[in-house]
Amino acid sequence: MVQFANVIVYSYQYLLDPKVAGIISKELPKESVVVFDEAHNIDNVCIEALSVSVRRQTLEGATRNLNRISQEIDRFKATDAGRLRAEYNRLIEGLALRGNLPTTDIWLANPALPDDILKEAVPGNIRRAEHFLHVLRRLVQYLRGRLETENVEKESPVGFLVSINNHAGIDQKTLKFCYDRLHSLMLTLEITDTDEFLHIQTICDFATLIGTYARGFSIIIEPFDERMPHIPDPVLQLCCHDASLAIKPVFDRFQSVVITSGTLSPIDLYPRLLNFHPVVSRSFTMSLTRDCICPMVLTRGSDQLPVSTKFDMRSDPGVVRNYGKLLLELVSVVPDGIVCFFVSYSYMDGIINAWNDHGILKDIMQHKLVFIETQDVVETTLALDNYRRACDCGRGAVFFSVARGKVAEGIDFDRHYGRLVIMFGVPFQYTLSKILLARLEYLRDNFQIKEGDFLTFDALRQAAQCVGRVIRSKADYGMMIFADKRYIFPNSFSITLTSKILNSLIKG
Amino acid sequence: MNNGADKRLNRRAEEDEDDEDDGDGLEAWERTYADERSWESLQEDELGFLRPIDNKAIYHAQYRRRLRSLSSSAAATRIQKGLIRYLYIVIDLSRAAAETDFRPNRMVVVAKHVEAFIREFFDQNPLSQIGLVTIKDGVAHCLTDLGGTPEAHIKALMGKLECSGDSSLQNALDLVHGYLNQIPSYGHREVLILYSALSTCDPGDIMETVQKCKKSKIRCSVIGLAAEMFICKHLCQETGGMYSVALDEAHFKELILEHAPPPPAIAEFAIANLIKMGFPQRAAEGSISICSCHKEAKVGAGYTCPRCKARVCELPTECRICGLTLVSSPHLARSYHHLFPIPPFDEVPLSRPNDPNQKAKRNCFGCQSLLSPGNKPGLSVACPKCQQHFCLDCDIYIHESLHNCPGCESLRNSKSVIANET
Repeated sequence: MVQFANVIVYSYQYLLDPKVAGIISKELPKESVVVFDEAHNIDNVCIEALSVSVRRQTLEGATRNLNRISQEIDRFKATDAGRLRAEYNRLIEGLALRGNLPTTDIWLANPALPDDILKEAVPGNIRRAEHFLHVLRRLVQYLRGRLETENVEKESPVGFLVSINNHAGIDQKTLKFCYDRLHSLMLTLEITDTDEFLHIQTICDFATLIGTYARGFSIIIEPFDERMPHIPDPVLQLCCHDASLAIKPVFDRFQSVVITSGTLSPIDLYPRLLNFHPVVSRSFTMSLTRDCICPMVLTRGSDQLPVSTKFDMRSDPGVVRNYGKLLLELVSVVPDGIVCFFVSYSYMDGIINAWNDHGILKDIMQHKLVFIETQDVVETTLALDNYRRACDCGRGAVFFSVARGKVAEGIDFDRHYGRLVIMFGVPFQYTLSKILLARLEYLRDNFQIKEGDFLTFDALRQAAQCVGRVIRSKADYGMMIFADKRYIFPNSFSITLTSKILNSLIKG
Repeated sequence: MNNGADKRLNRRAEEDEDDEDDGDGLEAWERTYADERSWESLQEDELGFLRPIDNKAIYHAQYRRRLRSLSSSAAATRIQKGLIRYLYIVIDLSRAAAETDFRPNRMVVVAKHVEAFIREFFDQNPLSQIGLVTIKDGVAHCLTDLGGTPEAHIKALMGKLECSGDSSLQNALDLVHGYLNQIPSYGHREVLILYSALSTCDPGDIMETVQKCKKSKIRCSVIGLAAEMFICKHLCQETGGMYSVALDEAHFKELILEHAPPPPAIAEFAIANLIKMGFPQRAAEGSISICSCHKEAKVGAGYTCPRCKARVCELPTECRICGLTLVSSPHLARSYHHLFPIPPFDEVPLSRPNDPNQKAKRNCFGCQSLLSPGNKPGLSVACPKCQQHFCLDCDIYIHESLHNCPGCESLRNSKSVIANET
């Protein structure tokens, strides 16, 4: 169907994630115009497309898959040995996939992108199906050993390759071709229920990525989640740090690529992150016929004490009370719906409990009903639905949500559903996460972007996105409040707030 | 305010209000200082003197804009209007009515303007009736029943002005719906809700109530004093009413008085009907009879119902004994002018002093004051039919109170006189 349509609308993954793109976007002609809309998070999407994480369940699932594949191979040997032999012959001739394929289709399927590897022949030690399975089993065994570590480990791909070679005897070239080989094997064996084989596919993705890229990745092994040190939950993560890798084939193949967003600020950071030279780079200011947004920055509470969600100030009862009083006063003057964003689930839990103890929550509920987003999807959907009903029938409601949660990413609070949005604090990422630290180091070394700048940019991007949920059309109006003392420092912060909000802040 | 400005002028740009207490009246000074920022309405003219800003031209421009927008749709066509209106005014006496953003508080301001509105309403719609409903503690009470005398309503309203509790829009709508369902079909059913609260605590589904009102052809309008609410907007859209939010006291007065003239009738509901009315005669001066409204004997001055011969004190009213609507012919005449409104007058461009063709020294046809440009640019307007010139004050008076153009009336008279002579 794709080749007959004039306009196609789909999500980023269908074009950026190599595993999916190979199936869906094979047939797009070169002259197509590709537009990435709402692309302020595109670097995160690119990075996630090439990151792999392996847990114990993955390895156990992979073992099951391998057993099943070997059963299939035995069955085929008994009934139709000729097919396996034909595959073997093809591999000798260097055609990795079955069939005669035009050159345009091959690039999208492989997670590793330089196209010279596709022209190499598949190495000898995995041409035969049984040998390939042995290699995979050794790899899985090695990974299981690595997971049973007591400390956090961080390695570069090169180091990891060396240690695989030493312990499991698998060299880099073999690893490179794992993905292709598995794909071809599954085609040959005519395995239709590919969902079952996700685990082994994950392992092969992992292997191919390791084998192909020497830089731009790091491997982090954590024995448990830092916030819950008593629960052992080992995970091995292959983290991609370089966002340009996933998007490079899109730039190479298509004639025109447009990256656009309402909150793409600062705009010159994106070409650096995605490693391209923009032909045209423009910012358009939005023309509003009247003042329909009223952004405000709040640095002090009503008792003139500064407020913030800085880590050391979070449990300060004065700050908690100030935030509570702020919300209470606003609830009595704003009609219909109010949305509040907090920096994290744990912070939201803590502050709502504190408000409940002080009786502030009860006073808020006298004016409006209260709904809270949780980590459970069903509960959140129910809360949202009831929130909308309360706004519709005039009772009024407040919705508590988290800045990096599902609601902030996708749900709109336009018209009367969002007359006021309050951003409590600055939504920084969890700065102690190992992946984030590795990524910051990579950015500092290769792009000369300071860690503080990048974290600030990311936090403000998230805040602007949350706050932009309220205005969805020119006839809409709403108020936005940024409640943290750190928003006021001119150099680092105000520059990255979007220009439309900034203009209104300067005027008002 | 103008006295103060003149005094300032004489003293050559003294902005200090403290010098003004002599002789000007402490109250006036206090009033302007408390209500208006009189120092802001000063402007320097070309000689360096301070003058008050010429509000008149601005006011007139606003007035004309409003008039044009109101009559733009009705300019070419004759719109059928609901002249016999049964209007319920719902006043919100919840705790939000005690807010002091309107001085002294919202409740008092609302009551004051409702009183003015009731008088204006009966002035323009003598055949209609008003009822009052209040919302307090989440429950709606009927303060006065539908009736045609302004005094009874105003006395009841000013009697109890206290606020407490939540506000419930659905309860008010249910109550009004129950009452309005009983009136005959030739009457236009309307509700005007003066809402101070920001939310509504309802016992059931308010959307159903809105649909019920829509089906009963009740036209609900809302004037909000706090902020725009979705449910009020939805209610007004569904029932064909008007929703507006007042910014300050003057704006509130303007908004509420906009509901005094009759609204356009809804097409499918306005079927032409014959309505029975009685035109009572005035009783003789010396006659003694028992009045049916006060239930006591009265001498002289009253009207006799033509059907049942009962005595009523004032018109228009409904006879208590037989239920006949009793009116007098001036009342009908007053409703007549809504159907044939005066078109807005055209603005006359300022005359240039060097233009020899212009007649200098023109007088306003209404009040005979001079129209030529003096110290301030004198805008004048002209009636498109009789081409007579009027000043701004006469323009406003003719359109709002008189409802007849003096020029057109005299033109008709002179034409008929000429016709008689020939």
